[in-house]
Formats: sequence, structure tokens, C-alpha cells
Amino acid sequence: MVRIHKSTSKQYLTLHTVDQAHPTEIFSLAPTPNALISASGSSHLLVHSTTTSPTFPLTQTLSNAHRLGCHHITTARGGPGNTFVSVGFGGDTKVWHRNPETDQWALHWTLPTPDNKKEKGDVWAVALSADEGYLAATTSDGRIHVWDVLGKAKIQTYETGASAGGGGGGGGQGSVGTGSFAMAVDLSRDGKFTASGHENGGVYVFNNDAGRMVYSLSGLAKPIRAVAFSPGCKRLAAAGNAGIIAIYDMQHGEHVANLSATGTRPAWITSIDWNDTGEYLLSGSLDGKVRVWDVARGVCVATHSETESALWCVRWLPKSEKTLAPGMGKGEMFVAAGANRSLTFYREATGS
Amino acid sequence: MYFCPIRNQYLHPPSQPTVTNSHERPSPPLEQLSPVRASSTRVPHNIVIVPQSHSSDDALTKIEALFETIVDAISVGSPITIPYRRSTNAQVFDPTASASNPRDGRHMDSVRFPGRNPQELRRFEALFRIIEISHEALLSGTLVTKRNIYYQNMELFRSQSAVDEMVDNLAFTLGVGRNDLNIVATAKGLVAGQVELIMRGGSKINCAESSDSGVLLPSISAVEKIDFQSVKWLLVIEKEATFRTLSASRYYTVSRAGSGILVTGKGYPDLATRKFLATIHSVRPRLLMFALVDFDPHGISVLRTYQYSSQRLDHEERTKVFGLRWLGIRSSDVLSNTVMTQDCSANSQGSQSSQDLSSQESIAYSVDAFEHERPAKRPRSRRTKSHPSDYTAPLTERDREKAVSVLRDICGTTRLDAAEREHKLELQRMLMLNIKAEIQAVDDFGDITNWLDKRLLEHSRDVNYIYRYSA
Repeated sequence: MVRIHKSTSKQYLTLHTVDQAHPTEIFSLAPTPNALISASGSSHLLVHSTTTSPTFPLTQTLSNAHRLGCHHITTARGGPGNTFVSVGFGGDTKVWHRNPETDQWALHWTLPTPDNKKEKGDVWAVALSADEGYLAATTSDGRIHVWDVLGKAKIQTYETGASAGGGGGGGGQGSVGTGSFAMAVDLSRDGKFTASGHENGGVYVFNNDAGRMVYSLSGLAKPIRAVAFSPGCKRLAAAGNAGIIAIYDMQHGEHVANLSATGTRPAWITSIDWNDTGEYLLSGSLDGKVRVWDVARGVCVATHSETESALWCVRWLPKSEKTLAPGMGKGEMFVAAGANRSLTFYREATGS
Repeated sequence: MYFCPIRNQYLHPPSQPTVTNSHERPSPPLEQLSPVRASSTRVPHNIVIVPQSHSSDDALTKIEALFETIVDAISVGSPITIPYRRSTNAQVFDPTASASNPRDGRHMDSVRFPGRNPQELRRFEALFRIIEISHEALLSGTLVTKRNIYYQNMELFRSQSAVDEMVDNLAFTLGVGRNDLNIVATAKGLVAGQVELIMRGGSKINCAESSDSGVLLPSISAVEKIDFQSVKWLLVIEKEATFRTLSASRYYTVSRAGSGILVTGKGYPDLATRKFLATIHSVRPRLLMFALVDFDPHGISVLRTYQYSSQRLDHEERTKVFGLRWLGIRSSDVLSNTVMTQDCSANSQGSQSSQDLSSQESIAYSVDAFEHERPAKRPRSRRTKSHPSDYTAPLTERDREKAVSVLRDICGTTRLDAAEREHKLELQRMLMLNIKAEIQAVDDFGDITNWLDKRLLEHSRDVNYIYRYSA
């Protein structure tokens, strides 16, 4: 069924909903060029095809991937789609590889848990570099670890504790004061920057070549739930409990814009995502609304909600060359998921 | 008439005080007439007999059998053995025990005299003393507290917790409950409500008599009958402070959900409180029982202790109250503003889109249908909840560790019943949102009664609330 929603300049259709895709709440999504991987409070990860059919069929179930449920999965934005990383509620972090011939995913590597008692924080958020070579993983005590995926070795730890300041050594052992819970992380596509968002409202940017913090960004006093670099790596977006999206410029670390919906107290934003051109930002919040923002104009151009239940994750799907079905448009698609356990796919209504 | 600041109105004074019985030793029979109530309406009596467990006889037999083997060993001159197994070792091998000298008898299945070392000698003496005390208590029909035992010979027992552990392990080894040894803990739990406990020996405890502090829960083995009168619900409250507030305002009488009983275990409940609740549930299975705990990992852990007991006391009979329903506090209570609904029956009504720029963010203070059925007798302050973060706090590192630990506990069993799925979901949400909230999050300037009324009424109507128990 197709419903058309009018808005000022963008029209999106609800393309399809995979109802009750998971038995419990869906916490995270990760798209590849031809599939969408989803994680929930149950122990299985699901892979749905995004290019073969408008019904988005299930193509693989990774059973018992995380016994306590999974809260984060990530793929490389703009990457080849051969790797994804998942993190369970027990802090168990797994790297999965896709076999290009069979198109099936299998566990490649499980990150070792630190036996160093000082590094107590569980892994929370993860991000993959565009070439799928590096993995950034944040912890509940404010550290960001960077791993070499192929070499299976930790190469860097960024600290954000009280005495971290502009510090952060290469492979540093953390005896620095524990920092605020790092709830979000992203790696810029050019590999230059790592960004983290924290429970105390802090947003930090690290230069990966220099191995140190370069910006400490202010502007959002409430916990940050999502950070995302624009595809061109010029901007960083951050959002969370404040209910607004802050945009920062990476050349100078300036806070250049705020995107906010009207209304007295906007709902907490759980997820943001830049589209491939960097023109539009997608946001999902606890009130069940997914919004499309025109970043340059600073306005929201579309709002949708399937139910009032919380959205935990929203993602653009990479643009594909072919249409899903004969006669369908090739508009950009995005997907939203959350407490209603379903995957809802939307597509831009274009003339073509 | 007295003025109750919580209710913001005048209330009738409590009825004539009755003499309450000391909960440890049944005093000589004392006949009391039911006190005349100020409202002078006759309250229906609804008396249920508490089944007496005869396993104290069982315990006595086992102890005497043990004494026989000891006497036999002495007469022959061979070493004396007391069987002794740890209840916690039944499931998980205690790693700290293995770290010590394996010959110190700590994780052996018995304690011997003459021992292998001084520690075992001490343990033997302590254990024997406890068995002796229990035997005496069983013969004379009296109850002894664990505290009492400890103070009889502090140097021998070394610490209260050592006594506690030994008593539990002894009970576990003999295959009886701790109460069957006539050893009880000092009462910790409190109860308040329109209910009367008729003790063995004849005396009666009226749980409505003490206005703000409730009544100390007696050991259930000392209770012969319970007069439920017209109670419709029972609410177990995690925090003592909340219990006192509700008890002081006599919520168990004035609730819109009808007459009820308030119980608190003051945090993690002791065995006596659990046994009390489990017994009530077994003699009155249709009485709705609810739990009110904080929205944090400890709250859920306390809730689970009531429902599934604890590892150390897993062997005790009749301590689990599976049917205890989780009234709150949940994520949906805390985030009602940002509309975090329990979408269990997630039939989407169809996509609702809103005009973006002109959309009003409505602050949802849901008006439920029940309000219209019975006119509210109290003034309702329509105070809109400003924002969830005002009432929530972030989780600490320890909170998060606790949450993960409880999650592991839940996910350890293969099949989860509906209640456990809820616990799991709420813990995951708690970790995702990184917030916790106390009961204060849902109150109205300190008055939780409106919220309680609503919830209790909802559940009372919901007769199809089914729990599927795991195998």
C-alpha cells in the first residue's frame, strides 16, 4: 500500500513494512549496498535484502550472535559492504565478513575483552572506516579504542577523562580518570577524524594521523546519542537528549547551525544519518517520528511516524542503480526501526 | 478527625489499639474482641487457615538421627562426621573456596571431628552448637533468632554472617527449610492493611492499627489464620519510605481500587517476608499481588528476588511468588511525555504523518478511560509532566554492571516466561537510554496515590493477564 505524505519540498512514500521482523525491540540497523542488517533485544541478527524485491525478504539469520541481545551494529558508510560489526549488551563485540560468492555472512573475529582491571567499561558504540580496515569502539567509561580489523590488534586509545585534555597516547594504557560514558562514535570517510559523543553532552573530535584530540565541541548540554560526519567530511552532526541536531564545521571546530523541530520540548533523538550527497540529514526520536532535514536551509522537510513507539535507529539506504521492481522509481530510500519491532522502508517520490 | 497532609483532607482516627503479639514466641492465649470501627459498618470476615507445615517434625527426626550416628561413632571411637553442604555450591562451584587449601574441609561435603585442621575444628564446634540449639528449640516449641544464636557464643561463631550461612547450609543439607529448624531471622518486613493475623496461641494482630509504621511481619509459621476481610489487592513496595508514606495516609483503605494490603521488605526481602507472601498467594490465589520498585537495575533485581527467590535460599520451599505482577516503575511510566509506549500489540493503525513545520509537540498526559467511570473523589492536580530528564538520573558504572549481571541471569535460562521477557526488555531499554528513575518520578508533588489508583484499577480489570511459567 502506498501512502503519499505531503511536505514542503520532499515527498516520501511508505514503501513497505516488514512487520514484527524481530521478536523484540530493534535497536540498531546497518545497511550495505544490497542488504540491511538489523539487531534487536533478542539474540539473533537478521539480514534482509534491499535490492531484489520490494518486499525486502529475509535472506539470512545469524542465530545466537549475542546472548543478551545486541544494541549496536555498523557497516562502513560508503564502503564495499563486506564487513559489519555488532556489539551485545554484555559488551561482546564481533566482526563479521561476507563471503562474496555465497553472499552469506559469518563470524570473522570476536574482540578480546580487556583483562586490565582499569579498563572496566563495556564496549558500547562502534564505527567502521570506509575501507573497513579500522574499527572505532567506545566504552562506558569514555574511552575510544581504535582497532586494526585485519591485523586484529588495538592500535590507539583516545581518552576523554578529566585529565585527558588534548592528550591520548598511541596505544595508551588508561590510568586517566574515567570519562563520561561515550554513547556515540563515528569515523569520517576520508579516515582523518574520529568523533565521539558523551553522556555529559561533550562532543570530541580526534585527528587519527596525529593521534590526538583536536576539537572539544560545546553546544549541547544534554547526553549525546548520535554523531555523524558528513560524506564530504566537512561537517559533523551531533544529537541526543536535547532534541536538536547541532552541526559543526570541521575546518575550525565551529558550531555553525542547529536543526530543531518546533514545539516546547522536542523528543530525545536516538539516531541521525547523512544521505550520500550530504544534503539531507535523517533523524529518529523517541516519539516515533523520523524526520528529513535540509541541512543547508536548516529546516525539516518531511516528518513521518508509523506509531508512537520509540525509534531507535534510522538509516538511509545506499543509492542503487537498479529499481526494486519494474516501474518503480529510483528515489532515495531510508529505513526506520524501533520499539514496534518492524522495519519500515520509505522511498522518495520522484518523477522519474 | 485528624488532618493528613498527604491526602490534603481530614481522616477518621484509627480504631482502638489491640494488643499485638511478639512475633517470636507465642504468648499465652489472649482473647480480644474485634475493635469497634469508627464507621460502624460491619466488615465481612474472610478467614483462611494457614496450612501448617509438618516438616519441623521432619527436621526433629533428622537431627535426632544425626545425634544417634554421633553417639554411635563416639562409642566405637571413630571420627564423628556431620554432613554439611553449601546451598550455593549446588549450582555454581564457588571459585573462592577452591583458592584455599583443599584440605581445610571448606568445600567438602561434611565436617569431621577430629578435624583436619583448626579451622575444621572450629567449624565442627559451631555447627554442632547450632544443631543443639535448634534441637532444644524444636523440643520446647519455641523460635530462636539467628541473632540470638550468634550472641550465645560470639567468639566461637566469629560473625553474624557466618551463623547465617551455616544455618542456611545446615537446612539445605538436611533437606528442610530454615524455619523447620525453629530458627528465624529478626523480622524485617512490614505490613499494613485491613487484614488480621490470628496467631497460634490465640492472639491477633490487626495490621491496620499502627498508623504510619505498619506492623512487623511475623514469621508465617506462627500464624494460624488470616482474616482477609474485604481486601482486593496486595502491594509489595521496595522502599520503606514509600511504604510509610502510603501507610500513614491509610492508602490501603482509601484507594480507589478498594481495600488492600501494603507490604515492604525494605529492599531485598528476607526469607520471612518472602514466605509470608508466598503463603498468602497459595491460600488466596485470586488476591492480586503487585510489586512497586524503582526503575533501576536494583529494583528489577528486588522484583526478581520476590518472584524467583535467591540462589542461596533456592532450596527453601514456598518462597517464590511467580504471580507477583510488576506494577511499576517502568520505562513507559518515566517517559510518558516522549511517548514510549509498550507496543506489544503492535498493529499499526496506519501511517500518521504530520505537517512538519507546523506540528505541535503535544505533551501527553494521557487521560485514561477509567477516569470517566468513577468520579474522582479527590482533587486531581493536572500538572503536566515537564520532561522525563527532570525525574531521571543517568546510570552509574556500577548500575550498568548490575544491569548486565541481571540480564545474564535472565538469559541464562533457556525458555523465558512472559515476566522475564519484560524484565529483559526493560533492562535493555534502561541501558539504551542510560537512565534510572525512582518512584518519585511518577508522583504528583510527593503524592503517588493518583498514579497508584490508576495502575491498580487497570490491572484489576485486566483479567486476562496471563503468565506462562517456564518448565
